[in-house]
Amino acid sequence: MGIARYFLSRDPEACVWLGVRANRGNAENLAMEYGIRCQLIDLEVTSPTAWTLAVEKIVETSGSLDVLVNNAGMHRDCLLAAMPDDAWHSVIAANLDSVFHGCRAVVTPMMRQRFGRIINIASLSAVLPPLGQTNYAAAKAGVVALSQTLAKEVARSGITVNSLLPGYIDTEALGDMDVEARKSIQRGIPMRRFGTPEEVASAVYFLAGVDAAYVTGAAIKIDGGIF
Amino acid sequence: MQGAELRQKIKEVMVEELMLEQDPSEISDTVSIFGGGGLGLDSVDALQLVVGLEKHFGLKVGNSEAAKGILETVETIAREIEKSA
Repeated sequence: MGIARYFLSRDPEACVWLGVRANRGNAENLAMEYGIRCQLIDLEVTSPTAWTLAVEKIVETSGSLDVLVNNAGMHRDCLLAAMPDDAWHSVIAANLDSVFHGCRAVVTPMMRQRFGRIINIASLSAVLPPLGQTNYAAAKAGVVALSQTLAKEVARSGITVNSLLPGYIDTEALGDMDVEARKSIQRGIPMRRFGTPEEVASAVYFLAGVDAAYVTGAAIKIDGGIF
Repeated sequence: MQGAELRQKIKEVMVEELMLEQDPSEISDTVSIFGGGGLGLDSVDALQLVVGLEKHFGLKVGNSEAAKGILETVETIAREIEKSA
């Protein structure tokens, strides 16, 4: 939601479509705030059919689709030795299959208009995986590799494809963490703080803009210096 | 659009869509579009060409097997467009 808000507040001509399924509350509030410039569209990101229908509707309504930000994802952390099949498959589906389906759905319309910006939100786990995230880390590393490969395939068509690798970002996902745990993690971050959602959004905004026209296939860490 | 006019337009679309650094008039009707010995374009170009042909001529190339035959030369593309008109 932070990314959508950033685009809407920075660019008065931006029209944002938010793919939603459950938990529509925040999205509905944003749509009410920005009216016609922010619209919701039903999207089960693991469904190729849902992607096709959503992209058709957006192109038909807006006339073009310039930017895709793949930001859906979920964790089901578990040591591999004890990981149920479902924990593996559901995490791969939500984090990697979704990106594949989304990219495939937008590539042809973007090729037709000879312009497009695809920004896939991966994770620092793609390159520095913690224990218990074989599923999530594999999916996010897959997102980086998919982005780099697709970047080569569509470069001549005026489409850029990049991935962002956020580290610890102060979102709801960290909300349950107690104070001591937060401090402990922050001590391991060279900048000694978590990132903000706006700092991720600003990187997305940069990659979507004209200033990033020659940036493609990049995997940009946003992590306060962890490596 | 048919005949020489159509073939000329296909060449213009190829140059525009594939950003070829040559004049459309330098492309013959029968030169191989892909692979060595012809224009030397690759599978990435083929994808953009398919999108361009649909955009400019409404030609839908169904699958990769069909594409191989249709996208062989300017002449084969023109025949397919004339057939589907």
